[in-house]
Amino acid sequence: MATNPMHQFEVYKIGPEINFGGINLSFTNASFFMTLSSVLILLLLFFGTKKKSLIPSKIQFITEMSYTFVAKMINDTAGNNAKSFFPFIFTLFMFVLFSNMVGMLPYSFTVTSHIIVTFVLASAVFLGVTILGFIKHGFKYLELFVPKGVPAVLLPLIIIIEIISYLSRPVSLSVRLFANMMAGHTMLKVFGGFVISLGLLGGWLPLGFSIALTGLEILVAFLQAYVFAILTCIYLNDALNLHH
Amino acid sequence: MKNLKEISTRLEIAKKKIEKNDQKEGSSNAASLGKALKISTELVAAVVVGTTIGFLLDSWFDTKPLLIICFFFMGVTAGILNVFKLAKKMNEKISKLRK
Repeated sequence: MATNPMHQFEVYKIGPEINFGGINLSFTNASFFMTLSSVLILLLLFFGTKKKSLIPSKIQFITEMSYTFVAKMINDTAGNNAKSFFPFIFTLFMFVLFSNMVGMLPYSFTVTSHIIVTFVLASAVFLGVTILGFIKHGFKYLELFVPKGVPAVLLPLIIIIEIISYLSRPVSLSVRLFANMMAGHTMLKVFGGFVISLGLLGGWLPLGFSIALTGLEILVAFLQAYVFAILTCIYLNDALNLHH
Repeated sequence: MKNLKEISTRLEIAKKKIEKNDQKEGSSNAASLGKALKISTELVAAVVVGTTIGFLLDSWFDTKPLLIICFFFMGVTAGILNVFKLAKKMNEKISKLRK
């Protein structure tokens, strides 16, 4: 059981089964770890902003750093217009980051290694940005699919290609996060299994590998949250400032 | 107050260090890894979406292999277009940093 590398991704329910109109709404380990990362974010932000001193304590420093990091990212990629979307992108970034990081703890569960979770996040971004574009520009938003300076003969083909390219956004956004998290955790588990099966004689090499991989996974966990947030900013930029 | 003065000089030094780091950000390892991860999935996703649309349209119009082939190639084109657009955006950013 413990040697199966895919066992760690199993979702099981905690506590009683809750059925609501034929829909299974039981509290699962996935819901528990989502709640845990949300609570951790809230605690960090609460204690980080509680005592505002000129010389920041460590926790205040982390809070301020994450704030300026996201604010700078929005300013660099989406411009000043996107300032009002700061809460959304900050929430998204912190949630993905904390889910990834909580998943790095032993015996925990990585929420973002399930494609349904990442796909819901990505499609929320996708739908939101599309609706925002239509609100801001009306039907002129459809000009996004018509690049400038294309001969009329090629136009139907180009429009279909542009629409496919637009529709691929939520897919690439969600698959990237999910695949990276799942591949990394599976690999960690496989190398961990090698340590046990090779024993005291040959187990040292995979042990070294899995230590190095843990470091890499922490980097990937941060990087994926960053990439998710920065791509959301790029899509926001496309919707807010319509140009090609 | 002496304490504050000391901290402000330390802040100055730290700021200079950050500025130095910012200048060579284009070659930083973690940033490049992020870019590589970003681009690679972009290519695959468009192919998947294109093929799925082709498959759905095929089963609607009963034109079994025809549309899936067409949309597969369009998906490939869209993927290359995605990569091209992203790369162009990165290029703009780097040239802005160098100015």
